[in-house]
Amino acid sequence: MNPHAKLISALSLIAGTSITISSNHWMMAWTGLEINTLAIIPLISKSHHPRAIEASIKYFLVQAAASSLILFSSMVNAWFTGQWDITQLTHPTSCLLLTMAIAMKLGLVPFHFWFPEVLQGSSLITALLLSTMMKFPPITILLLTSHSLSPTLLTSMAIASAALGGWMGLNQTQIRKILAFSSISHLGWMAIIIIYDPKLTLVTFYLYSMMTTTIFLTLNATKITKMTTMMTSWTKTPMLNATLMLTLLSLAGLPPLTGFLPKWLIIHELTKQEMTAAATIITMLSLLGLFFYLRLAYYATITLPPNSTNHMKQWHINKPTGISIAILTSMSALLLPLSPMILTTI
Amino acid sequence: MTYFVLFLGLCFVLGSLAVASNPSPYYGVVGLVLASVAGCGWLLSLGISFISLVLFMVYLGGMLVVFVYSVSLAADPFPQAWGDWRVVGYGAGFSLVLIVGAAVGGAVECWKLGVVSVDGGGVFSVRLDFSGVAVLYSEGVGMFLVAGWGLLLTLFVVLELVRGLSRGAIRAV
Repeated sequence: MNPHAKLISALSLIAGTSITISSNHWMMAWTGLEINTLAIIPLISKSHHPRAIEASIKYFLVQAAASSLILFSSMVNAWFTGQWDITQLTHPTSCLLLTMAIAMKLGLVPFHFWFPEVLQGSSLITALLLSTMMKFPPITILLLTSHSLSPTLLTSMAIASAALGGWMGLNQTQIRKILAFSSISHLGWMAIIIIYDPKLTLVTFYLYSMMTTTIFLTLNATKITKMTTMMTSWTKTPMLNATLMLTLLSLAGLPPLTGFLPKWLIIHELTKQEMTAAATIITMLSLLGLFFYLRLAYYATITLPPNSTNHMKQWHINKPTGISIAILTSMSALLLPLSPMILTTI
Repeated sequence: MTYFVLFLGLCFVLGSLAVASNPSPYYGVVGLVLASVAGCGWLLSLGISFISLVLFMVYLGGMLVVFVYSVSLAADPFPQAWGDWRVVGYGAGFSLVLIVGAAVGGAVECWKLGVVSVDGGGVFSVRLDFSGVAVLYSEGVGMFLVAGWGLLLTLFVVLELVRGLSRGAIRAV
């Protein structure tokens, strides 16, 4: 891609995210979201493959519709209450509209249909940006308006997201689509707790971003995009393969890895709020996701192709892995003992 | 006067119905013109004449002109007009949605006409909309810069998407 266009896209991504996160007025929040949407479109369609172009069009349509819903909700609220403050959203129509608009932006069920195809059509680094950084402004808006959202709608969308994220990920062989469904499932966990304890939503989002960044960077270093490639990746970098297994299990939420912390705290808080049925249901539905994470971990590490024993690791590695993967991998597997520090810092 | 403003609202809805029933763009643009003229009239009825003229200028003089140029480049050999069965079907479906929505939403009782739009404070001396534009350039300069960057970014994104003629993402014929 043209370096100048890449620079403008990258700068606008940073600018749009910063504008939305630091805004008090609905207009600035909406402007930041629109700048983000516009800036990432050329990055998605960078490879000029028909699938990539279709992905960019789908992304643009869904995000533009969601942004206009955010604008409508803020305008209805401004008409009836006379002010544009993000934290003072009181009109019931606005609250309902905003809940649905943020669900569309994030990819919560039933507005999740665009997400797997958009991730599949983009390159691995663009998919990383889509899963982590592009979720940051809508989560910020969700946090700022957490007291104004509709609890019934949020809880039902969250449980449906955990269900569909787990179920629909079961039949996938392309890893970007699997990670899209994992993202939908994690968003369900984030959405279910936001009314009771918004800080736990933030903890879940930060830890999920860190683990997903690790996975995408690892996949980018070993050029893995589907399960068949994953089965032979142990010959390229055996150590990275082993840590990929640990990171996948951390995403699944298995103790004693880091990914267990958000799920544990969320179940704890839900039970304290007498939402035991919701906690049980969402935990059971996460077991579906656990199956495909385990399958991925199995294919990454435990399967050996029928090679001879003197044909083990390849002698030549194309791309040396950077230090970021090492740091992120350690953090995404070993942060559970530091949970009191995490809770008090975030 | 009330009935006239209601009629303008009806024209707006009919114009958007004409666009949404998916005829060929040559015929859909008629709906766009009707909707924008009715929208300008509605803004006039609220009292903000400057904003109404800005909408007229930007929409009809800017967007519609660009639309006409791009449609003339990508011409349709067999355009679907209003009499096409597909268009009639879409139009009937959307009309049904409109009627049900108006009945459920209680369009008649909550229609408050003549309500002054929301105000920012006591800084405006003459007219609401005109002084609002002045505020955009003075105290609201942050928003102005951000909006300007957004529009410039749109230009760069579109240029990047159609770059490369037939090898581009969206083919620049």
